[in-house]
Amino acid sequence: MSPEISNQSLLFLIVFVLVPLSLSYYYQLGQNKDIIWSSIRGTVQLFLIGYALNYLFDLPPYIGIPFMISVMIIVASFHARKKGEGLPNVLWTILLGLIIIEVSVLSLWLVADMIEFTPSEVIPMSGMVIGNSMVAMGLALERMKSEFKENEGRLLAALSLGAEPKQASHIIVQRTLMASLIPNADKLKTVGLVQLPGMMTGLILGGVSPVMAIKYQLVISLSIFSAVSLSAIYITLVMYRYFFNKKMQLKQFSHQESS
Amino acid sequence: MREGEPIIRLKDIQYGPLQDINLNVYPGERVIVFGPSGSGKSTLLHLFNRLLDAEKGSISFYDQPYESYTIPKLRRKIGLVLQAPHLFPGTVLDNLKFGPSMVDEWKDKQGEELLEYVQLPSDYLHRSVDQLSGGEKQRVSLARTLANKPDVLLLDEPTSALDEQTTEDIEEVLSMLIDKHQITVIMVTHQLSQAKRLGDRGIYLEDGRIMEEGPLPDILEKPKTEELQSFLV
Ligand SMILES: Nc1ncnc2c1ncn2[C@@H]1O[C@H](COP(=O)(O)OP(=O)(O)O)[C@@H](O)[C@H]1O
Ligand SMILES: [Mg+2]
Repeated sequence: MSPEISNQSLLFLIVFVLVPLSLSYYYQLGQNKDIIWSSIRGTVQLFLIGYALNYLFDLPPYIGIPFMISVMIIVASFHARKKGEGLPNVLWTILLGLIIIEVSVLSLWLVADMIEFTPSEVIPMSGMVIGNSMVAMGLALERMKSEFKENEGRLLAALSLGAEPKQASHIIVQRTLMASLIPNADKLKTVGLVQLPGMMTGLILGGVSPVMAIKYQLVISLSIFSAVSLSAIYITLVMYRYFFNKKMQLKQFSHQESS
Repeated sequence: MREGEPIIRLKDIQYGPLQDINLNVYPGERVIVFGPSGSGKSTLLHLFNRLLDAEKGSISFYDQPYESYTIPKLRRKIGLVLQAPHLFPGTVLDNLKFGPSMVDEWKDKQGEELLEYVQLPSDYLHRSVDQLSGGEKQRVSLARTLANKPDVLLLDEPTSALDEQTTEDIEEVLSMLIDKHQITVIMVTHQLSQAKRLGDRGIYLEDGRIMEEGPLPDILEKPKTEELQSFLV
């Protein structure tokens, strides 16, 4: 059903790489090496994943699926952890969060019979949920760190008035959540109008009828929306406490209060 | 002024820049802490409010060690007004209620009363804090701390960011409050004239040490140590 792209045709993609490369060269952006490296790396990575997926799809689902999902979750955790540098237990918190989210979303899909328990359905769909959750957790971590820094004065004020850490960081939790929900709600509003989502595009190219493709897209869009919200609230509610010590004092990440 | 037992007693305190701090504060006293910027004045107030814990030494409140009080309760009793107002987003009322409502002690009429203390009209209660001027924000910040009915009031340069007229207004508010409520005050200021007007004992801090202390205004008029003498010129 899918139109094959031959390897020779793929070679012409070099033209697409030449565009940014010549720009970088002409304007002396110093990105030449980086552009070549990322193009090669991206190509090799995709081919490897392609072959790996081919192999996994041939395995029995109860082996292939857990294996691939574990790999995705572990890679995503290590990636998102960078955003939480300086905070304790970030890796474990993210890992646990991704497991909880993936398991609940996947169960709902299977129970409601939206997808089948086969690698070719579960793995790409899960990949999207895990990937988006990873980004959401990273953003929430970054956002929280900057909110804590920015609002140090207010936090001190709240603590000094007798607030416990939970009450003192209420505004910060609120703002972090808002920051992660709003862009995703906005994305939903324009879905399909500005840009056909990647998954829909893929299905349509693969020969699936647009209405069928939309059903899948709806499942994934809403699943991502809820996974992203869950990720943000989970990270904020677990991590805010690490900004305080046991004596309800703000930990000093950088020492500079208004003198 | 010094009646009976100290209300707060600092013994051999060391924290960051602060060294060997020994200080007794008596009920009803108005203590002024002054000294060059970076000498550790704000840090000292943070220790009083237990926003920080000393590395060495001990602090007691009503003769009981700080550790024997639950932290939020202690902070309510020894209220701090930070140097900048740092108001919470929302209305003036939201800010005033913040402390008391956490222990279910907010009463309906309290908002008007607090605004009266700091000489703001009562229709300010429902204003958004974004609409307030610098001086008004500082008053709200003061009222917000007073809402907890503290026994000791810590003030960190409450007028440093304000113009002369607003400073005078706030000073008037402060001296009214102090006279009316017999509250114990520990205030940091760099304005020596303010120290004379509001305080009855001065503590001179330099490089994290108490270099000199004594009754106001004498300590400013007849400084004994070289450090204070050169600070005053
Ligand atoms: N824990 C700490 N360790 C080392 N230095 C500190 C610590 N806490 C505060 N300081 C430094 O001590 C100095 C005094 O700060 P501060 O109390 O704000 O002074 P002031 O209010 O008198 O201007 C500042 O330079 C601050 O960076
Ligand atoms: Mg200061």
